[in-house]
Amino acid sequence: MNINNDQLWVKVIKKVRAWARLNSVWAVHFNSGSCNGCDIEILATLTPRYDVERFGIKLEGSPRHADVLIVTGPVTRQARERLLRTYEQMPEPKFVISVGSCSISGGVFQGCYNVGGSVDEVIPVDVYIPGCPPRPEAIIDGIIQLLTHLKDGNPRPAHPVAEKQIAEEVLA
Amino acid sequence: MNTEQNLQTADLLLAPWKKETAQPETNRLDVSIAANQLRQAVSALHNARWGYLSAITGTDLGPAAGQMEALYHFCNGAAITTLKIQLPRTDSAVLPTIEDIIPPATFFERELHEMLGFKFKAAKSNERLFIPDDWPEDVFPLRQDFSIEQAKPVEGRQAVEVPEAGRVGDSTFVVPIGPQHPALKEPGHFEFTVDGEIVTAARMRLGYAHRGIEKAAESRNWIQNLYLFERVCGICSHTHALAYSLGVEKLAQVEVSPRAQAIRELVAGLERIHSHLLWLGVAAHEAGFDTLFMYSWRDRETVMNLLEQITGNRVNYSANVLGGVKCEIGPEQAKAIKEGLNYLEPRINHYLGVVTTDTMFLNRTRGIGTISCEEAEEFGLLGPTARASGMLRDVRVEAPYGAYKQFPVSGVTETNGDLEARCVVRLKELLVTCFAIRAIIDNLPTGPLTVRVPRKIPAGETISRVEAPRGELLYYIKSNGTEHPARVHIRTPSLCNWVSVLEKAVGRQLADVPMLIAGMDPCFSCNDRLITTVDAARGRKTWSWTQLREHGIEYYKR
Repeated sequence: MNINNDQLWVKVIKKVRAWARLNSVWAVHFNSGSCNGCDIEILATLTPRYDVERFGIKLEGSPRHADVLIVTGPVTRQARERLLRTYEQMPEPKFVISVGSCSISGGVFQGCYNVGGSVDEVIPVDVYIPGCPPRPEAIIDGIIQLLTHLKDGNPRPAHPVAEKQIAEEVLA
Repeated sequence: MNTEQNLQTADLLLAPWKKETAQPETNRLDVSIAANQLRQAVSALHNARWGYLSAITGTDLGPAAGQMEALYHFCNGAAITTLKIQLPRTDSAVLPTIEDIIPPATFFERELHEMLGFKFKAAKSNERLFIPDDWPEDVFPLRQDFSIEQAKPVEGRQAVEVPEAGRVGDSTFVVPIGPQHPALKEPGHFEFTVDGEIVTAARMRLGYAHRGIEKAAESRNWIQNLYLFERVCGICSHTHALAYSLGVEKLAQVEVSPRAQAIRELVAGLERIHSHLLWLGVAAHEAGFDTLFMYSWRDRETVMNLLEQITGNRVNYSANVLGGVKCEIGPEQAKAIKEGLNYLEPRINHYLGVVTTDTMFLNRTRGIGTISCEEAEEFGLLGPTARASGMLRDVRVEAPYGAYKQFPVSGVTETNGDLEARCVVRLKELLVTCFAIRAIIDNLPTGPLTVRVPRKIPAGETISRVEAPRGELLYYIKSNGTEHPARVHIRTPSLCNWVSVLEKAVGRQLADVPMLIAGMDPCFSCNDRLITTVDAARGRKTWSWTQLREHGIEYYKR
């Protein structure tokens, strides 16, 4: 069946889909070897003080049901493969938020023999939230920035280098 | 018995095997023995019930010396006896295993093997626990001549966690959990073999969070390391920095002012409150009691506010500097802390009521995972997990450090040893902690916040023990007189407490397992500061829970 994107019903369905996506973000959390600080702050965003559920954001157990992957940690050698696998299991469209200094640059663990360095060397990242660890407010702000970006109708930011790496990984 | 008498007893017990003795510090006794006499010496201490095996430190003395050292640290109150064995840095570095005498030594021996290449005679397995799957054979990261080029990933050795066929028998099934799993906030991998609902075997694989901090410490200077060790674990970051600072100050022979020590204890107390409330929430969440999770985390924010007000950060607060603390407790902070405690104490009492009376919660905790006092001693448990079984193992009480002599805390124990007792112990400990914090605020000593610590720390070695929220934390620090430490070895409490989960899961319903894991308050990031590896080609390199069970049974037969 040929679908014409200019047809009214297609436009309506797209709008409804975007509305639903923006108002019920399901996130899956993956710790790639962080010290725990970011993880407890992510958990804290779910609890009454910060209550991220008011934005419709819910922590989901399975990557297969999730829209957003929240990654912490400097990606250890042992966790790298699992991070990639978790990412590949998520349905499109998927977005990645990298939380904490060490997930962005390796942070204090830079140069350790068992540490990859950063999350964006393994998977494409949409939002970076620096801090060691970032405050819950910063984490909420990061998620909202992602949502605002999508709301304005923008596509996901392109990551040519990371996308190429992923393609190579998958082919290999 | 005081420390001196304890050391004399140890000296007498070890007399038949000792080659040489030394007393590096007043509370320590180093006894050099031959490798082939290790088992007899360990048995002598163990049979006389002289303390417990706290850690085994391995040190590479370098290619020039051509020697490696294995140090078996036994702690008894404040007294520490170390059995010292020197072996050549070659394939002939073989030690006899002591895991049949002291079961928790399995973990320590694994660590020695993976990090430094010690071989263990008659060990049931020489499998890796910490190093990554694709790590090459015969490359040992803590050797002094190790370079990252040696550790190129080996092709085809990536492990697969999920069993290819879940069904392993007519009625048994393997349930894989992790490394990414809703019940785990941190990465770890478990495989539970179930027959119907009952767990018949359990395996675990650590090391997803292994970063190689001990090696990294050797290339950073003394001050940089303070911030590195704080990030071993984000939950108990202050205790890691505290143990390190206390050790370095001992080596540098610097006397820290009583005021700084008191503020350190105060921050440690606040950290304990935040950690235990966090734990209570997670344990409640694993039991399906999310209301308690939300309430306890709401109240935890009170402590987080206080920590932020005092130190400037919610987590990883860097309250310590070498030679003191960086934060002052003025009248404003003192008032805020008191107000916070006024709010928290009634809440803690309320939670104490909830965990001991709520029928639904008690169904998940009472009589589950019971560990007797004898078992706790045999498994070498530490911290609240041990204290819930009636074994008072608390460094703050046994060997007071810092300001704990001036502002003592009383040790809290329970006798039941089940999950309920572990909840009660932790909550009662919070009340004791609140009491100590009030005492510190009311009687804060005067003095400078910091004293000067030299950039180069005099050569020597020391052992620093502090009580983390999860149990005894041990730092072995060795200096060679330069700006960098020669070796820092960290033994975290979670490593010792895994035994309690491994032993108790078998025979229970699968639904109890998340609670059992939560019951010991595991901290993967602490455990995994070493390395981890699984090897698909040579069979799965994990440590089996049944193995440990067998050790236990064998142990009681003798």
